[in-house]
Amino acid sequence: MARPRARQTLLILGLETSCDETAAAVITRSGEIRANIVSSQAELHAKYGGVVPEVASRRHLELVTPVIGEALAGADAQLDDVELVAVTTGPGLIGALLVGVAAAKAIAWARRLPLAPVDHLHGHVASLYLEPDPLEPPFLCLLASGGHTLLLDVRERGSRPRTLGTTIDDAAGEAFDKGARLLGLGYPGGAAIDRLAREGDPQAFDFPVARVPGVDFSFSGVKTALLYAVRTLAADELERRRADLAASYQRAIVRALVVRTREAAEQIGAEKIAVVGGVAANSELRAALGDATLAPLALCTDNAAMIASAARFVEPVPYPGYLGLDAYASTA
Amino acid sequence: MLILAFDTATDVATSALVDGGEVLGERASRAATLLEDVDALLRQAGTQTRDVDALAVGIGPGSFTGVRIGLSTARGLALALGIPVAGVSTLDALEAGAPDALPVIDARRHEVFVPGRVLAPADVDVDRGRLCVGSGAVRYRDLLAAKGADIPPDTDERHIPRARFHAALARDFGPAEQVEPLYLRVPDADKTHS
Ligand SMILES: [Zn+2]
Repeated sequence: MARPRARQTLLILGLETSCDETAAAVITRSGEIRANIVSSQAELHAKYGGVVPEVASRRHLELVTPVIGEALAGADAQLDDVELVAVTTGPGLIGALLVGVAAAKAIAWARRLPLAPVDHLHGHVASLYLEPDPLEPPFLCLLASGGHTLLLDVRERGSRPRTLGTTIDDAAGEAFDKGARLLGLGYPGGAAIDRLAREGDPQAFDFPVARVPGVDFSFSGVKTALLYAVRTLAADELERRRADLAASYQRAIVRALVVRTREAAEQIGAEKIAVVGGVAANSELRAALGDATLAPLALCTDNAAMIASAARFVEPVPYPGYLGLDAYASTA
Repeated sequence: MLILAFDTATDVATSALVDGGEVLGERASRAATLLEDVDALLRQAGTQTRDVDALAVGIGPGSFTGVRIGLSTARGLALALGIPVAGVSTLDALEAGAPDALPVIDARRHEVFVPGRVLAPADVDVDRGRLCVGSGAVRYRDLLAAKGADIPPDTDERHIPRARFHAALARDFGPAEQVEPLYLRVPDADKTHS
């Protein structure tokens, strides 16, 4: 017999499995987070130095329903309290996305709930619309993560915004990961470099970042510069100067991000700047863009609260329109 | 007992609604549209989702992504409906539909799944006149036929793991998370790391 329950605010259940985090969240219509569960696979992928799609997909299947159960329990909610299911349908690793999409469709179908398909990048931006400090568009948004480096012109909350600039090679987070590998640090590399950089001199090495036209980014050059620097140093010297290398490398990447972000803001006359995505957790970037709105740390890396948040601003698909819904790897 | 059964491990996704051994309906399409089939099956039978007592799901071997779509769907349904799940090998379901046949499922990369293993089609052990069924038997028809295998025409339904057989074979219904995929092959990246 179910215990008597007070009538709850209707809730949104969000699901995110586009890369290497299996995540579920429960939020309210007004954007209040009731539970935000992220089961990171970082350790699993650490031995490969990066995300292995098949390994990630297998792990998502193991974690997807336990994570949903944890989110519901954390919100002290039941599926009866859920009025909308939201799920990332792309872009991302197709096999990984499909695990979340299948589970979300099944839950929505079984409960005759509507389903909101959410674009992962729109989700990152929508992390800014959550309580307690929701940001009101228009603003310029830097989305920097292991998979993306984008400058977005955000005019309204309802859809994925217009792209002003993007990386022509590596993503910023990828540059951190690759740099960390060159320096013999762990995966994911962003946090490792950030930590080590605090002990180093950011001016010790000059790592220039290529200037590409417009407000696009290129990080392959700085990575190559680091590679040469590492190769040139003798083993003991390298050990001694590892912190300097990390600090200089981080400085180069952060400077490129900051310069381009400011240029883009000027270009569209944006009065507000926001930073989201895993790289937004970087302490030097946070300091350098102190005037910007920075996503809270827990919402920087991939999570499902941001997916549920985006769902508040997209048209949900009513039953049975979503039963044939598929995932997409890229928007191109 | 009303059992909803489905299998998305191979290119043809199958589903069936079976009540105490009686097949109320059966469908086939693709993994992406599995729930459209399931929805239609329930409508045709005039049943509600809450009437379903248990799930029987194909656990592979087959396409890794396909296997996961089936299992993730089963786990989502089990969570939402509070019902138990039983896993059934896709090879066993094929065999149930073609007694005495050797089930052979296409494993891509020029390999096939047979009971318990993955191997090159040329290494499949078949006696003269042995019936072979499944996507692997269709794909490597010439090679297997040259070994003496008897392979039904491509359109023969015995090549498809029909979900009515999953319902019939299902045993030990339990928590969905305990029903694991049958991959029979490690991920690529693990080959160099383990
Ligand atoms: Zn992301």
